[in-house]
Order: sequence, then structure tokens, then C-alpha cells
Amino acid sequence: MEYDSLKDELLSIADTSLKYATSLDSSAEFEVFLFFNSETHAEISQGVVKAKDGITLGNAVRAAKGKRVGFACASGIAIERVKLSVTEALGIVNSIKVEDERFQGFSDPSPPGKDGVFAEEILEIDTDFLLKSSEAMIAEAKSVDERAKIISGEASASWGGYAVANSRGVLQGSVFGDNGCVVQVQAIEGEERRGAFEFDVARDRVYKADGLGRMAAEEAVSLLGAKKLDITSKMRTLWTHIPAALYVLSSLGQSVLGQPVVEGRSPLNDKIGEAIAKSDLTIVDNGQKPIGLGTHAVDQEGHPQRKNPIIEKGVLKGFLFNTYYARAFGVESTGNCARGGGAFQSSNPYESSPGVVTKWLEISAGTKSEEDIISEVDDKAVLIKGFPLGIFHTNVSTGEFSIVAGEAFLVEKGEVKYPIQPVSIAGNFYEGFKNLTGISSELRPLPWGIENPMFAFDGFSVTG
Amino acid sequence: MFDKLQQSVDAAEKFGADFVEARYDDLTLRTLQRTDDIWKDIQIKSRMGVAITSYVEGVSGFSFSASSDTKDILIAAEKSVKMAKASAAVASLKLPFEGRDPVTSKKSDTKSVKKHPRDFDLAYKTDLVNRSVETAREFGDSIRNIRGLYGELYGPKYLVNSDGSRIEWNFLVTDLRCLVTSMTPSGDMVNGSEGKGGTYGLEIFDAKDTTPESIGEAAGSRAKEQLKAKACPAGKFRAMIENRLTGVLAHESFGHLSEADFIVTGGSPLTDKIGVGLGTEHATIIDGGKIDIEKYGGLWLPYDDQGTPTSKTTVLDNGTLRHYLHDRGTATKLGQDPTGNSRAVNFVFPPICRMTNTYFAPGDLTEDEALELLGTGVYAIQSSGGQVQGDGSFLFKAIRGYWVDKGEMQYPIREVSLSGNILELLSKVEGGTKELKISSGYFGGCGKGDQYPLPTGLGGPKLVIDGVTFGGEAGA
Repeated sequence: MEYDSLKDELLSIADTSLKYATSLDSSAEFEVFLFFNSETHAEISQGVVKAKDGITLGNAVRAAKGKRVGFACASGIAIERVKLSVTEALGIVNSIKVEDERFQGFSDPSPPGKDGVFAEEILEIDTDFLLKSSEAMIAEAKSVDERAKIISGEASASWGGYAVANSRGVLQGSVFGDNGCVVQVQAIEGEERRGAFEFDVARDRVYKADGLGRMAAEEAVSLLGAKKLDITSKMRTLWTHIPAALYVLSSLGQSVLGQPVVEGRSPLNDKIGEAIAKSDLTIVDNGQKPIGLGTHAVDQEGHPQRKNPIIEKGVLKGFLFNTYYARAFGVESTGNCARGGGAFQSSNPYESSPGVVTKWLEISAGTKSEEDIISEVDDKAVLIKGFPLGIFHTNVSTGEFSIVAGEAFLVEKGEVKYPIQPVSIAGNFYEGFKNLTGISSELRPLPWGIENPMFAFDGFSVTG
Repeated sequence: MFDKLQQSVDAAEKFGADFVEARYDDLTLRTLQRTDDIWKDIQIKSRMGVAITSYVEGVSGFSFSASSDTKDILIAAEKSVKMAKASAAVASLKLPFEGRDPVTSKKSDTKSVKKHPRDFDLAYKTDLVNRSVETAREFGDSIRNIRGLYGELYGPKYLVNSDGSRIEWNFLVTDLRCLVTSMTPSGDMVNGSEGKGGTYGLEIFDAKDTTPESIGEAAGSRAKEQLKAKACPAGKFRAMIENRLTGVLAHESFGHLSEADFIVTGGSPLTDKIGVGLGTEHATIIDGGKIDIEKYGGLWLPYDDQGTPTSKTTVLDNGTLRHYLHDRGTATKLGQDPTGNSRAVNFVFPPICRMTNTYFAPGDLTEDEALELLGTGVYAIQSSGGQVQGDGSFLFKAIRGYWVDKGEMQYPIREVSLSGNILELLSKVEGGTKELKISSGYFGGCGKGDQYPLPTGLGGPKLVIDGVTFGGEAGA
């Protein structure tokens, strides 16, 4: 299949499959989902090279009779594989008595939104190009400092599409594609090993690998010579873009989703209209931002994607839903259905039943520069970078978290002093939003579907 | 299917591959999920496809096809060779390996069970979930949410390679879990959970300690106990680690460091450390695919995804590093025996160095003796997972625990994180209990790169460790 004709071809198979399903049992409601993703990936790690190229193909079918719902999926999109899913899904509905009391039918048809932009040069990227970029990033990182010793570079390009058809008249699809590269560096001195990474990812242009190796190597080397913090107390913590993004994704990014809201596990359930954060925090989930990695004309059950406010000036404005949870909550879908994960997508999304995810979180910029936020520290604070350990092993219901920040620096009297050995930071995510003391004016888009500033919080416990 | 796979091996060799592996999976997965009174998911999945890895000068290229048509398989074979050739041109570290005697599988390579899930209808399985949820529900008005989960994954795996090996065996894992969330009077949410999973027939859920009722009761009573649990104080304490958490420590923090792809690149701190003492005499870590599941639990894996028979590998032997976990190329490079640790999460991915069942070997203490040895500190129980970094730093969550004073359990504590560096921790292991328990399952699994979730087994005895950093509220 070619990119230009992919959507039409998927829609045609979906339509044919739906007709087949209806011919088997006209008393049942059906939904057919088809997925196609062509990916080329290459990586070099200390001279070891690995390359992979293939097309992921799969289909998923839901059948429903009243409140009885069955889901079946199969690898492949050949008509006999879709028929297998139809038969299995219908078999579930016909063979069991258990019901899903919340189920109120599949998505109704609505006019689609727009797909995100896509640079067609990405279609031309091949294994050789990816390998060359990886080599270049590694060479750049090596040139920074001889202590930057363990270096890996990887790059990938992918394009694909999906289509949804259901008995209510939905017949919609989306095409997409992106490319990216990442370099990881471990700096080693004696027994001390410190790691850092840099990346670029985009759908509207070919990725830019230049400079990434140097930045990652400089970062890893700057972490060497870490001293012990030797403090256990409540203190200010400064979360740079990556940990700040993960903070939002693992807290609000989960608790505003339809599932925990409807199931009563979200602590935000009854807080619409209430101030839940400092008044300078505004968060929107934008499923229609042209360069957003989660932007599609329709979500993965065929509902149009859109822009949804979550927090406006500190006040909770709304939750995110797919059709299932929206109807259970008595509202309309917000176009946030996806299969198999949001921020960290599954390689086989057709294997997952429709869930709710954020599409592209936009967090408003603050008024202070990062330098201002650092210079405002009167006494001591800890500045963290990178991917904190345990950030996603937190409890959405309680908001309590305890993480270990491996990339950390001591800030004292307005200056970054020196790297410190890993520190544990504990507290409550939701209390943190109320104790925000700084939001930087610089935003950074990140590959996990979010664009955000740096945050400063008071009141978390730091154990060095 | 053997013939189609052989055709692809022959074709890839003709295109210029030095060595070829062709795999075919035809796996069926079923997931049942009930939340309170709602049947959220009843799913059936068919995962069928062909994966081809070609090697040129010890460098691999990989492709796959969700179609089992000969034409599509041959296209994948050609692609894999092209990529191997492109990669070989830039690789500075190559991992060639010699051919070896062909392996032919036997019927006994497939674990036989009394009640295979393919022979039981959905109603039988929804009943298992219902029984666990209904039992958990009996544990009080504070319960806010109960989830019951059942999962099964089974089906044939085939492999043909340039050695002439022809391997066919059937994978099997079943799993039943119950998770309860309750609310304290002050509005805090607390959790209790229990489950049983691994290479079992459904007869496992007839056994006394693992009936759906036992699982529901354990989850419900634990959530109830958590209502009065206190926050664990933050700081460094002596600790006793329960079996499942010991397994997480063995797998996540040490096992990954011993995977030989991290060793050949120097990415692991265990590089060049064979024969070096890293821990106390009480720290022995083993990985193996063929274990006594009836006795210990776990996952049955007779071959890896390169067709190497799995073995029992003592990675850490009474504190001394002895062996790494290999694929064919790394074993040759490092001059060690092959271990059968090259695994792929499904046909869309190439096999990479992964664990099978990884566990600390048991010690000689009774549980009372272990508590006495602990003295004062934290007894940390179960785990909701964790994360590690390449230098051995780890953070794990214990779901619950007890504060222990002078060998006596005092009061329950809430979910708490444990952190540290495994290489420091191994030198503080003071002893283990006599019983070995290995857990596995359908839900969750191991992640490496983008290959997730791979079923593995993990476990050990209860371990007593001097000095573990616990998170929690400072000064509490």
C-alpha cells in the first residue's frame, strides 16, 4: 500500500468487513478497526548495529447485543483475518450472559477534524539514512569528552493509517507519520557512571540530529563528581522540561481520563469548577494541533478529535472521554479514544480495546525565565533533569509519589552549585499543583504528547 | 509451516545471509476484566505471523510479516538480508557465531496440564473472576473499587534455522488477579491485591491456596488492613523483603545488568566482572527456563527464540559473578556457554537478550529466624513494579509492609518505595529463608526497549538486607 491511497484502501476493507459482519447477524451492532504502520528502525550501540523494517498490520472487531460486548482482534488485515475477528467477537456475545452495564453503543457519525501535517520526505527515509544519523550523533558525542564512553544512537521513520467502520454509519480514517532520533550517553569516571539522553522527533520535517550528541555528552559529563546531598527535609524542587512533563502525564494526565473519573478512582471527580492549582496554570489537550504527534482527523473509534480545556487559570474545567465513558458520565465524547496507550504507544494498538488518552497536552508558559526561577532560590533547592525512576509507578487515586532523580543538582543561593548523587523526592502530585512557585516562560515539545515549561514546587520531601 | 519457514531460510541464504532464523507464532490470547459489576473487557486475540532474522558477518537484520503467504514471507526474508548487509557495512563490533548441531523438539517440550484453557468455555473463566470479586466484596464498606482479571496466552511456536533445527512447542500462561481499592475515613485511597499466574492449567484455581475465593479474600483483607496502616518513615533501615519483591530485585535490578548485550557494549557495570565478588555468600541469583513449576511456580520455556534450549544459569554464585545471559552471538564473543536467553515479545520483534525465570536461591532460615535477624526495620511485601537505570540504580514499590521492632511485627505500613543501587545492596544481604516461590503471569511483564510485555518468572526466598532506603514522608 502507498501513503496516498492508504486511507481509501483501509476504508474499503473496513466497509466490506462491516457488511460481512452485519450479514452474519443483523441483530448485533459491529465496529471494525484496521491498522497499518510501516516502520524502519536502526540503532548503533558501541559498534553493534541492529536494523528492522516491517509493516504492522492488524484488525479489531467489537460486536454488541444490548449490553453484551465482545472484542476480538487478529494480526493482518486480509479479509479472512478480519472475518476471524468478526466470528470470534460475535461468538463472545452469543456465548456469554455477562453484561457491561455502562455500554451504550458505539460512536455516532460526526464530521471529521483534520489530520496533522506530514512531511512526505519522511517516506524516503531508509535504513542507510538512519544508520548515518546514528553514526553522526555518536561521533559528535565522542568528541566532547573522553569520559563520554558508552554511547548509542538510534533513529526511526514510520508512516501509516487506520480506519473505523461501525453499524451506526461511521466510516472514517486517519493517516499519519513521524520520524525521530535519540542519542544516549553514559559518562564514566572510576566506578561512577552517569547517563543522559537527547532526542528530536517531528511529523512536519525530517528530524535534526545535529547537536544532539554534543548536548547529551555534555549533560552526562556534567553529572560526574556528584556529591552526597546528606539532607532529609522538605525543600524546593525545580523540575526541568522532561521531569515536569512526566509529572503532569503521571498525575493529571491520568486522573482527568474518563476511566478513573467514571470508576470513582480519580480524586478530581467532584472538583469541576474548583481551583486545583495555582492560578497561573492552564492546561489544554489539543487533538488538532497540526504538528502534535497525537493529532488525527478522527480518534480510534471514528469520533472527531478536538481541543479540550482541562485547567484554566488553576480551575478544573473538564475531563477527557471516549464514547463509552462519555455516555456513562452523561456527556459527549471529547475525541480522546485510542487503543493501546497514549504517551507510550503500543506497537500493536489493534490488540487493545478502545481506551481514553491525552492527545497533545499544551501547558501554558509562565512569565519567569529558567534563570529567574533558579536565582529566586534563597536557601537550598534540588534541580532535576532526565527521566526520574518510579515516576509512572505512582498511585493515581492518591496522587502520592516517591521517585528517585538520578540527574540532580544542588541549587544554593540562586546558583546551580554541583551535581548530587541520586535523591528521592516524595509528596503528593495534586498538592504540588497548589504549591507551584514557578512556571518557566520557555516551552519544549516532547515526544510523549506534551509541550510544557519547567516547574518549581515547594513542600516535597527530599531524601539525599 | 516448517516447509514455509525452511523456504524462507533457503531464500535468505541465497540472498547472501550467513545464517538465518525463521519463526512462526500462532498464539491465542484471552483477557477478561471485571470492574465492580461491569464487565469491561472480554477479548480474544489471534497473534499470527512470521519473523525472520538474517545474519551477515555476525550482524543481524530483521523483518516480519503478519501474513503467512509464501510470497510475503519471502519478501520479509529478502528485506532482512538487505538490512543485515547495510548494517554490516557500518558495524564496528560484530558478533558472529558458529553453526551447531541441529535441534529437534520433542513432544515433552510442551508442558502438559490437566485443564488446558483452550478446552474450557468463556463462562468457566468469567466464573473464576466473579468468584474472586464477590469474595473480595465481603471486606467492608470502605471498598471503592474491585477489579477482577483473568488472562491466558497459548499456542504453537515454530522455529527453523540454518543449523537445520526444527522446533515446535506450545507456550502457555494463565493468570487470575484481584485488586481492591478502599478509602480511609480521611479520604486516602489504599490498595490490596493478590493473584496467581504462570504456566498452569486451570486446575491451579482448584488448589486450596489459589482458588478464586482465596485470591479475592487475600486482596480484600489486605485492602482492609491498609485502612489502618501508617506511612512508612523515610530513611535507611534494615529490611526483610518478601518473595515477590525479592524477585523484582533479582530481575529488574540485577538480571537486566547481566544481559550480555549490555556486556559486549560495556553498557553494564557488570562488564569484565566475571569472578569478582559483588555480594555476600547469601546472594545467589539464577536464571532458568525449565523449572519445577508444581513446586515453585513460574513460566515454562524450553527454548528461546533463536532455538537454543534454555538452561539453568547461575549468574551470581554466593556473591561472585559467574555468568551472563546470552544470545548466540554474545556467548561466542564472551567465550561462555549459550544460555537460551534470546527472546522476542512477539513476531514483530527480533529476539534480544532477555530473562526467563530469575530468582534468588533460597537460604536456610525459617521466617521467625529471618524476623529475628531483621531485628528492627521494615518488612516490605509484594510489588507493583519498579524501574532501574544502567548503573544499577533502582526504585521499586512495595505494595504494603509492616514495621518490625526487635523481631516482632508492630503495625502495617502503606505502599512505599525502596531505592538504592543493586551493587551496594548485594553486599548487605544477610540471609534468606528456606522457601523458594516464583511468580509469573499474563498481566504486566518485562519491558526492554520497545518490547513489552514479555512474560517472565521472578522470585526467591524472603531476604534480610542491612540498609535499604525507603521513600515516604520525611520526618513522618
